[in-house]
Amino acid sequence: MKAEPKNVNTGIYYIDGDVAAGQGALAAGCRFIGGYPITPSTKAAETFAEIAPKAGAVFIQMEDELASIATIIGASYAGVKTMTITSGPGYSLMMETIGFGAMLEAPFVILNVQRGGPSTGSPTKTGQADMMQARWGSHGDYEIIAIAPESPQEMFDYAIKAFNLAEKYRCPVMIMADECVGHMTEKVVIPKADTIELATRKFYKGPKDKYLPFKPDKDLIPPMAKAGDGCNLYITGDTHNEKGYPISSQNLKTKTHKSTTRRLIDKIKLNADKIIELKEEGIEDADIIVVSYGISSRVAVKGIELAREKGIKVGSLRLITVWPFPDKKIAELAKNIKAFVIPEINYGQVVFDVERCAHGEANVVLIPHGGAGVHHPEDISDAIEYADRENKKIEKIIEWKTKLEKLIFEKGFKLKE
Amino acid sequence: MNPIITAFAKGIKKSGIKPSRISVPSDIPFEPEIVNQLGIDFFHTIRGRAIAFGTGLKLGNPDLIVVPFIGDLMTIGGNHFVHSGRRNMDLLVICVNNFLYREINGKSAPIQKHENEQITTQKFSPYSTFEKPFNATHLANSCGAVYTARWTALHTDELADSIAEALNKRGFSMIEVLSPGPNYYTGIKKIESDLLKFYYENSVIKNGESPRNVTINSDEKIVVGKFTEKEQLTFIEQYNLQLGKVLGSKFTPHGGRNG
Repeated sequence: MKAEPKNVNTGIYYIDGDVAAGQGALAAGCRFIGGYPITPSTKAAETFAEIAPKAGAVFIQMEDELASIATIIGASYAGVKTMTITSGPGYSLMMETIGFGAMLEAPFVILNVQRGGPSTGSPTKTGQADMMQARWGSHGDYEIIAIAPESPQEMFDYAIKAFNLAEKYRCPVMIMADECVGHMTEKVVIPKADTIELATRKFYKGPKDKYLPFKPDKDLIPPMAKAGDGCNLYITGDTHNEKGYPISSQNLKTKTHKSTTRRLIDKIKLNADKIIELKEEGIEDADIIVVSYGISSRVAVKGIELAREKGIKVGSLRLITVWPFPDKKIAELAKNIKAFVIPEINYGQVVFDVERCAHGEANVVLIPHGGAGVHHPEDISDAIEYADRENKKIEKIIEWKTKLEKLIFEKGFKLKE
Repeated sequence: MNPIITAFAKGIKKSGIKPSRISVPSDIPFEPEIVNQLGIDFFHTIRGRAIAFGTGLKLGNPDLIVVPFIGDLMTIGGNHFVHSGRRNMDLLVICVNNFLYREINGKSAPIQKHENEQITTQKFSPYSTFEKPFNATHLANSCGAVYTARWTALHTDELADSIAEALNKRGFSMIEVLSPGPNYYTGIKKIESDLLKFYYENSVIKNGESPRNVTINSDEKIVVGKFTEKEQLTFIEQYNLQLGKVLGSKFTPHGGRNG
């Protein structure tokens, strides 16, 4: 299906990432956003609030993030495409309900414009430290999809992709942006509506009294019925059978846990190859591969350039989809290279999965960053140089000390000096 | 719970609304078979979020009649209640006040009867409670509810009438139902012997009573009745009015003419 012209404000703009995300959501056919303002994501919500009513969509400022996330799951079951917009503290508040949404297999999108943490942290500064929270934040077993855009243009493009994935796989999809991308102003091209391809939710069309809300098709995804369709829905966050009924008997519970909870995981895991999007550059004959995502991949470009000037064979693997993680790809690459270098604006999150998938075949170098800024490209090229020099296998994650960290922690740097 | 469901079924029938238009988000599980009989859509959400979830259902599809059934209205989801009242979101909230959490036996909920000597088996307050209860009806009214009523499990006919009336009412309505689940009060001497007799002896109908006077105190009779009813624009009506005023012809009203 193509996007509807009334939702697409075609043109060439000079806007920031948040604005682009708001435009992208509308272009994707989002009909409802419930949100609560939080820096640095506010502008995305503001944008949607302004443009949505002209296209027949609704924005509501809820009383808190707990309400925002619950309300979009409700609207999702009313049959419309929905999204909420937040940052760290709000994201933490949403966690319980995200698991509820995953259990209900409600399609919805969350835009998290990450900021420095923990707690209030640095609201106006960047961070990438919510990556593991996106993956594991709610209790219990479930799978989500997370995408990390690196530019305002991608905030638009991947907002659309996020909706497509959510509708297709009936799961929460997180756009894990960060303050830098959110507040960065660049050229954004919003294409014509007929060039934007949209996925549609699989709605149930059979006889109403025969409907089983959680009976999957072959692709493991059940067709959905809306509230008010007359299908007599019984939907619960309890462990349920195909009919949606909670199961109380212990034996049956074990069985339904297998068929329901297991399927929540399998529908993403077994479709991972179709979901995952990566950007590879110069990895064919590389000795070192820089694995990066979000704003860090923008900075890594310069770092890689500096390292190449020194004659090092270095390639780049950019994770556009961070979750599900490209296990196979990393394992494959690990066999032929010396090391992975991972710059991320946290003290080590995605690096754990790189190490897990490398299976000890290649060294893993983490370039951490405490947040409130991005890496210095020289730190990245220095780490690449070190990784290239290091000939022995080191059986743990090597934490690269950046220049700033050395300055602060080893030389006792003070501002006055 | 069962007398309330029966009254709900009667109320739906009396209201003339097609059951398939009704969605019930709830933080109390209904029996699935009951939902089947009622012909409604049912969502067992998580603690406290039924009103927020219902807001999404309503705004996602304004044709739905959304009736959040809530057991624990004033604690974990209290903020949603207050704000939905303020917005006049078109919801009919049915607050099942059983003086206790139904599912987790023995926790004190904030709308519990104050200093009730009979309720001494609770585990979360084994020495009874000294905290004041909420007057949920008064709170709803002061937040802007367009319809408030309170009944007990004894007053099923009155409750059914209230539900029928409120289902056809546009705006934020609240019906409080007092219904200690008999299963959970087996240790309580008086209520155990005859639940309905307890309500018969301890309640008094005062229709039109000011909500500020209907606090549940242990030494006074429980006041039940239909307390308030007024007309006010709903959230969607206000939304359409305001945005229509500012955006003019650029604006498509949400939910069509009916809101």
